[in-house]
Amino acid sequence: MASRDLLYRLRLFRLVVILLFAILLGNLFYMTVPQNRHYKDQALENRQIRFRVRAPRGKILDRTGELLADNMFIADITLPVSCLEGDVPDSTLVLLMDWFDLDAGETLDRLRAQRDAERNRLVLVTNAPLGQITAVEERRRQLPGARVETRPRRRYHNKGLFAHVIGYVGEVGQEEIGPPGRAGEYRSGDMIGKQGIERAFEADLRGVSGVKLEEVNASGHIVGRQAVWVDEVVPGRDVQLTLSLELQDAMADILAGQTAGGVAMSCRTGEILAAFSSPTFDTNLMTTSITPEQWQGLVNDPAKPFFNRILQATYPPASLYKVVSSLAALDKGVVGKASRLEPCYGGWQLGDRYFRCWKPSGHGDVDHADALVHSCDTFYYQVGLRLDIDELAAAARSFGLGAPCSGIFPEEVRGLVPDSAWYDEHYGSKGWSRGVLLNNAIGQGELLVTPLQMAVLAARLGSLGTVPAPTFVVGQEDVATLSPLPFSIQDLQWVRSTLGEVVSRGTGKAAGLADVPVAGKTGTAQNPHGEDHAWFMCFAPAGDPEVALAIILENAGHGGSEAAPLAGRWLRTYFDGARPGASPALPLEANRQVLP
Amino acid sequence: MRWLALAFPPGDRWIFAAWLLLCLASLAVLWSVTEPISGPYEGQEAGVAKGIFWRQVVWVALSFVALSLAARIRMRALENLSLPALLVMLLLLAAILVLGPKIGGSRRWFLLGPIRMQPAEFAKISFILAMAHLLGRAGEDRKSLTATTATFFLMVLHMVLVMREPDLGTSLVFLAAWIGMVFWYGIPGILLVGAGSAAASSVMMFISESVLDGQPWPWGVYILLLIGVLYLVRISIPAKVTLLAVNLATGLGIPFFWAKLHGYQQERILTFFDPSRDKFGSGYQAIQSKVAIGSGGLFGTQYLQGTQKGLAFLPERHTDFIFSVVGEELGFLGASAILALFLVIILRGLEIAAGARRPFWRYLAVGVVSYFTFHVVVNVAITTGLLPVTGLPLPLLSYGGSNLLTSSILLGILLNVSSRSFDT
Repeated sequence: MASRDLLYRLRLFRLVVILLFAILLGNLFYMTVPQNRHYKDQALENRQIRFRVRAPRGKILDRTGELLADNMFIADITLPVSCLEGDVPDSTLVLLMDWFDLDAGETLDRLRAQRDAERNRLVLVTNAPLGQITAVEERRRQLPGARVETRPRRRYHNKGLFAHVIGYVGEVGQEEIGPPGRAGEYRSGDMIGKQGIERAFEADLRGVSGVKLEEVNASGHIVGRQAVWVDEVVPGRDVQLTLSLELQDAMADILAGQTAGGVAMSCRTGEILAAFSSPTFDTNLMTTSITPEQWQGLVNDPAKPFFNRILQATYPPASLYKVVSSLAALDKGVVGKASRLEPCYGGWQLGDRYFRCWKPSGHGDVDHADALVHSCDTFYYQVGLRLDIDELAAAARSFGLGAPCSGIFPEEVRGLVPDSAWYDEHYGSKGWSRGVLLNNAIGQGELLVTPLQMAVLAARLGSLGTVPAPTFVVGQEDVATLSPLPFSIQDLQWVRSTLGEVVSRGTGKAAGLADVPVAGKTGTAQNPHGEDHAWFMCFAPAGDPEVALAIILENAGHGGSEAAPLAGRWLRTYFDGARPGASPALPLEANRQVLP
Repeated sequence: MRWLALAFPPGDRWIFAAWLLLCLASLAVLWSVTEPISGPYEGQEAGVAKGIFWRQVVWVALSFVALSLAARIRMRALENLSLPALLVMLLLLAAILVLGPKIGGSRRWFLLGPIRMQPAEFAKISFILAMAHLLGRAGEDRKSLTATTATFFLMVLHMVLVMREPDLGTSLVFLAAWIGMVFWYGIPGILLVGAGSAAASSVMMFISESVLDGQPWPWGVYILLLIGVLYLVRISIPAKVTLLAVNLATGLGIPFFWAKLHGYQQERILTFFDPSRDKFGSGYQAIQSKVAIGSGGLFGTQYLQGTQKGLAFLPERHTDFIFSVVGEELGFLGASAILALFLVIILRGLEIAAGARRPFWRYLAVGVVSYFTFHVVVNVAITTGLLPVTGLPLPLLSYGGSNLLTSSILLGILLNVSSRSFDT
């Protein structure tokens, strides 16, 4: 036996073994001591998942505290992004597509789109039915990664009753999220106010989403007993409208079946009490997955339910505008309260053009008051001729026409009050004549107003200019600036009392109430495309008005016969007990403290 | 007290103590693996059934019997058994490729009622026995290389059969045992240098081709260095030429060998060099295992408290990756203790091999030592991210009857050798 040889091999073998074990031990030490922190963090990262928790959106209440919009909870079935590793569905996804009978191609496309939008979890089923939720919860072990997640969803009570005021929420678009990597406060899948109060008060209603850490096991199921909140959820603030559910209901009731808009406003506080656009649509459809048929139905409806006939639709003010013409003429001293101009024989000849009065047989010899009471166009043609176009426009603007007056809705339109500069710009300085004054004086021509503007006009006239700017929300801070009316109090009082006569003995008789004196003005807007639009604006009680109202019925015909009776019906409801208390209202600051 | 002494196997007390402690450690870790994690985790199940623990208890008891028998059997009988056993096991290895049921994509097990029998494990015993027999009979005439060549083909036959199952990790055990035993037998130094440099050439070419996507410099630099060294050393010109030729051949052969590998095998090797390639496949196992061990720190998270284990992030935590659980819950100290126990077996085994009176006994001891060295070093290197992931259990610790029985029988044979060398 060559024992020296053997000893050599023993030593070499032993050396190799000790060397190998030294490497193993050295590496173990390196991992467990200098790198311990790193691996501990990784272990923590392994089992801790950050969850972003959406804040519940603030509720929307009517002036009496009636709930108009709040949140319900729906459940989504979600999967981790890794369920599509390399575009191949993992076993969980394959199982769920099979159990829920989902079309593989369509589902995978949908999930891929979500993944590309950098979502951290993919939504397989939105608003999952109970059966699917139970299936996932009961078979968790077969479905690593799958989770049922609840999230708040907007719910509008009263369906479409407040559609054009409250608006609706929808999923945020890419422009609101911001570019990848530099995302703002919104994340894909969040809801954002798209229209109306929901959009105008987004910052208040939204609240602040929170972040919590949950401990999960390897399958992604939550196993930790308690979540750690990194950022607490701040719920959205509630918003209380100045509108009343009951008065809004009454407004919807009188406008039902019409293509119409109606706005009611307090003459004392400026609060909007009702504002309805007909036809309307169920805003709940907008927060869910509206079916293509439903969407096409709404979009293609000739009555255009999405169109906001409170503050987006504009019409010629027609005879309602005679109030403005009268006040401008009185103010400039070109026509007196008792003035009699040339009698009305059914129209007025100016140059080679004959301007008709609405009453073909004519009003005969009328004074200023009678002209307003019976809405004599011939009289106002002559008033117009005595005025300068810029004087008339200034009078209209002093009432707030030609400018947005809600203070909060970006979708509101201005309307149009043409003046000489406007005519110069559009027709050239030689391209128009004083003839435009004839049309302007009776509220036709290029003049355009919204129903909201006419309600404000009625309220300001009724309150002799004392009513504050209109508000839709209790404690609303952003309001339109209304300049004081430039007319003498006597002139205003005269016009106001004359409007009382419009209802007591003139064109607005149909709006009269037995027990409450009503003052108002009818209008019939000429419509080159079809039947005329019927206008009516009013306030009551006539001597010391509480409430003002303006309604327009598209293609309905005469204001006096069509719109006035509806206004009367609404006022009836108002004075029969639906009239709101003085002011609901905590100012918004106090509101903020009361509602978390 | 006499009956108690009889109950213990004869031979080296250190080795038996290490066997006993490792078996107890295995049961302790398997108990932890099958317990739901304590602490603030509600409703988290262990994921590995408690039955695993109880089965292992039975296997440990059976292994004690097997170890005792192997430690007492007459050496002559063992040697007589070696060739028939080799034939039977080779037949079984061939048969399983055809008759074995496909489990998880491979045919490794025979199903015997409730238990799975893995022939490749027991073939390790018959292979070591046959190797020892052949090398022992070859006498001291090493220059002829007859025995070396014969055992080489025997080793390749085993490797090929097991690789066909496929089971790469286990097949490499035959290579390791062969290298260890042939080294002990004695082969010319030039062969060792040749084999070693050929392996280095392969690795360098692999890095050039597959990891660095065809950048030639690692292999190129290696070959230039080799030429420089060959120019300087004083060996015969034919030897120099042969060495260079072998290096060129193995290096250039690597791309062809690479193309022959299965996709998943290529993927595993590539993932080893860059675990983030495959965060959810074999890279996932490597990452999670390192996180478990690294997060354990010096003292561990405490027994039963490991979150990597308890929340099921750690795959194969009762089998191939059991060492990661030790690292997480018992820390560097616990893991070192386990390694120390294995080191006791290996170093004592080497002493036994050196002191054995007959060649057959000597090669048996070296075979057992090689077996343990390979299994322990490679398994621990895999769990700590030093080697690519391949299925290889940690002897005596990992759950599984076949490997526990095999390891215990081999240790019994080692005890047997030691009892005859020192006691008589």
